[in-house]
Amino acid sequence: MGYNLEKASMNDIFKTWSEEYAIYAPKCLVGKGAFSDTDSVRYSEIQDIEEIEFDKKSDFSFKEILTPISQTLFYFTEEEIKEAEVPKKGAIIFLRSCDLHAVKRLDEIYLKNGFEDYYYKRIREKVKFILMGCAYSYENCFCVSMGTNQIDSYDAAIEPYKKGYRIDNKLPAWEEVFSEHCEKELEVTPSYVTENIVKVNVPEGITLDIVKSEMWNEYDSRCINCGRCNFVCPTCTCFTMQDVFYTDNGKVGERRRVAASCMVDGYTDVAGGGAYRKKNGQRMRFKVLHKVYDYKKRFGYHMCVGCGRCDDVCPEYISFSNCINKLEGAMAEVKKNA
Amino acid sequence: MDLNTKQLRKNAFRVTKERGITASRIRVPGGHMEAKYLSMVQNIAETYGNGTVHITGRQGFEIPGIRYEDMPQVNVMLQPIIEGLDINQEKCGEGYSAAGTRNVTACVGNRVCPYGCYDTTGFAQRIEKAIFPHDLHFKIALTGCPNDCAKVRMHDFGIMGMTEPQYDKDRCVNCGACVKKCTKKSVGVLSTVNYKVERYADKCIGCGECVLACPTGAWTRSEQKLYRLTIMGRTGKKNPRLGEDFIKWVDEDSIIKIILNTYDYVAHYIDPEAPLGKEHIGYIVDRTGFEEFKKWALKDVQLPKMAEVYTPVYWKGIKY
Amino acid sequence: MHNEYIPFLSEIKEVIKHTSIEYTFRMTYEGKEVKPGQFFEVSIPKFGEAPISVSGISEGILDFTIRKVGKVTDEIFERYVGDKLFLRGPYGNGFDVNDYKNSELVVIAGGTGLSPVRGVVEYFSEHPQEVKGMTLVAGFKTPKDILFIEDFSRWKKNMEVILTVDCAEDDSACRIGLVTEFIPQLKLKDIKEAKAIVVGPPMMMHFTTQGLLKEGFREENIWISQERKMCCGIGKCGHCKIDDTYVCLDGPVFNYTKGRNLID
Repeated sequence: MGYNLEKASMNDIFKTWSEEYAIYAPKCLVGKGAFSDTDSVRYSEIQDIEEIEFDKKSDFSFKEILTPISQTLFYFTEEEIKEAEVPKKGAIIFLRSCDLHAVKRLDEIYLKNGFEDYYYKRIREKVKFILMGCAYSYENCFCVSMGTNQIDSYDAAIEPYKKGYRIDNKLPAWEEVFSEHCEKELEVTPSYVTENIVKVNVPEGITLDIVKSEMWNEYDSRCINCGRCNFVCPTCTCFTMQDVFYTDNGKVGERRRVAASCMVDGYTDVAGGGAYRKKNGQRMRFKVLHKVYDYKKRFGYHMCVGCGRCDDVCPEYISFSNCINKLEGAMAEVKKNA
Repeated sequence: MDLNTKQLRKNAFRVTKERGITASRIRVPGGHMEAKYLSMVQNIAETYGNGTVHITGRQGFEIPGIRYEDMPQVNVMLQPIIEGLDINQEKCGEGYSAAGTRNVTACVGNRVCPYGCYDTTGFAQRIEKAIFPHDLHFKIALTGCPNDCAKVRMHDFGIMGMTEPQYDKDRCVNCGACVKKCTKKSVGVLSTVNYKVERYADKCIGCGECVLACPTGAWTRSEQKLYRLTIMGRTGKKNPRLGEDFIKWVDEDSIIKIILNTYDYVAHYIDPEAPLGKEHIGYIVDRTGFEEFKKWALKDVQLPKMAEVYTPVYWKGIKY
Repeated sequence: MHNEYIPFLSEIKEVIKHTSIEYTFRMTYEGKEVKPGQFFEVSIPKFGEAPISVSGISEGILDFTIRKVGKVTDEIFERYVGDKLFLRGPYGNGFDVNDYKNSELVVIAGGTGLSPVRGVVEYFSEHPQEVKGMTLVAGFKTPKDILFIEDFSRWKKNMEVILTVDCAEDDSACRIGLVTEFIPQLKLKDIKEAKAIVVGPPMMMHFTTQGLLKEGFREENIWISQERKMCCGIGKCGHCKIDDTYVCLDGPVFNYTKGRNLID
């Protein structure tokens, strides 16, 4: 059902929700950009709907709520283990279509692909998603090419409308609170973009021979292997385990996992000093092919959702979308040289 | 020709080596301005000057080849520049009021440079408003970060941007980028302990390399803008030397107050025999002793809690 | 909901010292059935986890042959009989002995590569009638590096065993030469149907499989075991992914038709 709501009413609803949920949304953090006097749009817990940044793409994605950058798995003494507690409240996450498509990718890895991830599942079970409609495309977005510009698997959808908001609700449990607070009921269809300036062509018929292409070499020197592209990506799920002990009591500590990047040194290091992808071009190739080639071989659809955050953030102005667009030429090149 | 050279100097004109010919000096506080003023400078140079312009060492323009009798017309043409740059002026239409206190210079700062910790030009303009015009010889420069591209340590007051890095350990993935950058490009105060980063705050110079290097936003900048204030550096004949640290982690308001206090101090202690009434402040401090300077400079100054005042301060440099 | 990340305690029953940096830890175990070639995440709190393949399986006991090469394994080497380690697993596919039954089987192992395949060798040593013929080629750097020396004399009874070292000063117990040199000497009745398992360092595996193919082995009759940074062991952390393959889930044992396409 669709609704028109005033700001104050939305905040009343927030109050109701906050008993059961923490509400997360992209928020402009003033002065928190890397450069002085610049801001950063990040996912933060909010109390007031006006804290939501509706007009910009967030620099980091919502995934930090489902897969915290640093997550304690358990606490230990030398012979005992105590599982870390689950957040008491569930979460309501405001996000855009590309990001909601990314949730499917996170689920694929964490709920399927072999084992079910206990820590992911216990958060995921208590999450509701509110889609933020996209009235226009942002810089570097290529969701239309990736088929992620539209989605209907949301719990509710929201868009600013005049001085209030328009909501499309799909969650039966929320019907009552919305109809109680709304100005009027009406049909609401969330906005979505139908064209981006950036378009990508993921060619059919990529084979592993593409590894031999010269196209990867330029990234050996251009890329600085900082990993920003991975950390902002809503579909990157890699992590590394860490065992830490508390310095004040050396016998007690915790095991946690932290986000990892396949671009950063150490990712493929094995005990004894070996590493598998030393050159940045090889790492770029590994990442790009994962996003638009081998993930699909395993799971049937592309991993990349075209949010373009990797392009937004790269300090070396390396464009991921432009790299995808080189794949067709690279295939032709390796076929010619075969 | 009958000219009061003292007066024309105070009006930002110069006695040049060529008889009958002067040069107009245009001050650009903070060294940054709208491009439209360039064509005004050009117009003056082509109308009353010899068609050339010198870019000065203190971020101004010097228009040579002007006849002394054309000074009033030049001043009329300077008026839109003076107004546009928000220069403190004694009488409208009568040119720059200038004398001992020199243009406040600045590196490009955070309007352009990623390393800049603040808007250097903006702060320079604020200082301009607080101190100009003044007969005493003060040189002040601002630089965005400890790289000191503006060479502020060669000034009486050097203002160096800093940021106090804020660390959110929950966002840290132990990639090591900040530790590497701090070690290789800065002073090496970061180390990895238990997969997280520890900062030796006492030695941190607040350059912000860690913030720039961090791929996850675990390091961010402090909300408050803080600075390192260096003092009594100078070029010149007797004892050129680099400015030494006076206060680390000092705020904008305190810096302005300290500079204003120093005007009082200089007025009180300046050598009455000083040629043209100008004496580098550093020589006065050498005479009175640092403690006396400090007493005057910090009068009624409310420093931020984390400010560290260096005392005593000693200078080196070359002595002839 | 099962929490796969929580390890269980296991007691060290025996420590067998093969070389100065390679010990077998014989550990108590009660749990799911374990296949040779599978691995466990072995951990000591504070030091972390390390993926270690099972080198021996018997009633209530698992053997882990561990090479001292890093933070975790250095610490494990400080532990003795009666101490406890944390384990979680078994992970990975392991070797399926059914793949080799009724065939001529050649196992070629280099160095610690013998550990994951030791269970297969043991199985056919105990059930020689289940294969048409069996050869073990085990190569080590020097005589001092030989693992499971006490097993070889037993294995010799039921299979052809070629124990070789890369170099030795004065040696009569084993031959000298790289494992690849012995491939042309393999006595096989039907090389087209013969099966091979190759486990060892990457270069050794590369040249050995090339040698086998050259002799006429079919790609689909060769199996390899890959070692990668297996950090979570359960298909989540991504470190061991190569192309569309998660080594921890789909491997570490691969038929060569798949394994040859694993380009890092």
